[in-house]
Amino acid sequence: MLSYEYIKCTDLNLAFQELEEGKQVYPLAGGTDLIVGMRGGKFAAKTLLDIKDVPELKVLEENDRGITIGAAITLNDVVNFAPVRKNIPILAEGCHSVGSYSIRNRATIAGNICNASPAADTAAPLYALEAIINITGPGGERTVPVREFFTGPGKNALQKGELVRSIHIPAPYPEGKGVYLKASRTGSVDLASVGVAVQRWGDKVKVAVGAVAATPVRAHNVEKAINENGETNWAAAAKLSCDDISPITDIRCTRDYRFHLVEVLIRRGLEQTMGVK
Amino acid sequence: MSEKMTIKFTVNGIQEKKEAAVGQTLLKFIRDELHLTGTKEGCEIGECGACIVLLDDRPVNSCLILAVELDGKNLVTIEGLSQNGEMDRLQQAFIDHAAFQCGYCTPGMIMSARALIDRKPEPTDEDINEALSGNLCRCGAYQEIREAVKDASKK
Ligand SMILES: Cc1cc2nc3c(=O)[nH]c(=O)nc-3n(C[C@H](O)[C@H](O)[C@H](O)COP(=O)(O)OP(=O)(O)OC[C@H]3O[C@@H](n4cnc5c(N)ncnc54)[C@H](O)[C@@H]3O)c2cc1C
Ligand code: FES
Ligand code: FES
Repeated sequence: MLSYEYIKCTDLNLAFQELEEGKQVYPLAGGTDLIVGMRGGKFAAKTLLDIKDVPELKVLEENDRGITIGAAITLNDVVNFAPVRKNIPILAEGCHSVGSYSIRNRATIAGNICNASPAADTAAPLYALEAIINITGPGGERTVPVREFFTGPGKNALQKGELVRSIHIPAPYPEGKGVYLKASRTGSVDLASVGVAVQRWGDKVKVAVGAVAATPVRAHNVEKAINENGETNWAAAAKLSCDDISPITDIRCTRDYRFHLVEVLIRRGLEQTMGVK
Repeated sequence: MSEKMTIKFTVNGIQEKKEAAVGQTLLKFIRDELHLTGTKEGCEIGECGACIVLLDDRPVNSCLILAVELDGKNLVTIEGLSQNGEMDRLQQAFIDHAAFQCGYCTPGMIMSARALIDRKPEPTDEDINEALSGNLCRCGAYQEIREAVKDASKK
């Protein structure tokens, strides 16, 4: 049996106090990373602070500024939220590719990005949508762009005492199709060997890739070739991704295979979103 | 520290108040404290689905939930499906289609499928595949399981 203290939190101020004063206090959302990690000895939590019933974290709304997804909202609730499906289906695809149906009934986007795995499946879509992370803490509120939120494998931009409050996808939404293409060893319940998000924005494109560097990355060389230099040969553009990524070899696949997968998936993503040339 | 907390919840329609050890998973609590051993323990890391139960009507992996998180919630386990000694039609359909060999995955499969039929009374093959994506069957009875779910949803 694991040993720690459990605090059910319904008040944000109480949460800040616990996080600031306590040692090894971990926020508990869906627990799908935390509980597995504690069992494996990855997290040495002394206190679990259950935040999933904090009212401020249960927001799921769309207004003229965009879509806001509270930290306690599950992935299945994001997938089924009509404004997400209609305006930013790439995010629904990313959320849907996590684990299995029952995992997605507990897992949250906030937990996915706070855990900060470079392979986090919601990350590449959030990078391609230039999402904003709303952070709340004892000192008040602040925001960071998602690309600054991930700072290394398992590391994020939160300071002691802070929580992710919500994830915001700003309007105007992209004009055009977006796809999230995940390569994994099995059809479900496996992390991405690589994950590629390709989002069309009018006649421009944004491309983000997961599991190929210490954090998810944007494929700037690919984007530049298309958006600035007018490249329309998608295979040629996709080749340039090798300068955007620095993959490693691990249990899922080798470094070389990741280079290959990324090139193929970016090409396919461009064909699906920008049209077959 | 095996501190205990008092939790109140509903299990299979009955209100309960019990002590739960902080640090115990919901899976262990169901099996060892509530003595409902229909819910199975497989991988304990969220990958096999043998431990799936309904929490506030949603199928969830009880090995990844703490017993204390049950406070204030409504739990349904495989034992809660039969009514007045009559099996749920999904249970009957699993028997009719021989949708198992060893049967270890069956309780989890049926809980996932029950929730599917409740939210989508006429599921397609794709819906079934999605709903059961977190349920592994080592005996490979997938084809029969899909048939059983379809059959039960027709009635
Ligand atoms: C079987 C299985 C399959 C999986 N498959 C995938 C997959 O395919 N793709 C994928 O990307 N992931 C996968 N995962 C990982 C996991 O499900 C996701 O990362 C999930 O989104 C985490 O969310 P959670 O709410 O469960 O987080 P938790 O486990 O509750 O928390 C994760 C971390 O974030 C912290 N945290 C949570 N919320 C906040 C907050 N608001 N502010 C600050 N810190 C916070 C926690 O303290 C913890 O360190 C899988 C996990 C399992 C068990
Ligand atoms: S025991 Fe819970 S998923 Fe395997
Ligand atoms: S019947 Fe044996 S695991 Fe499914």
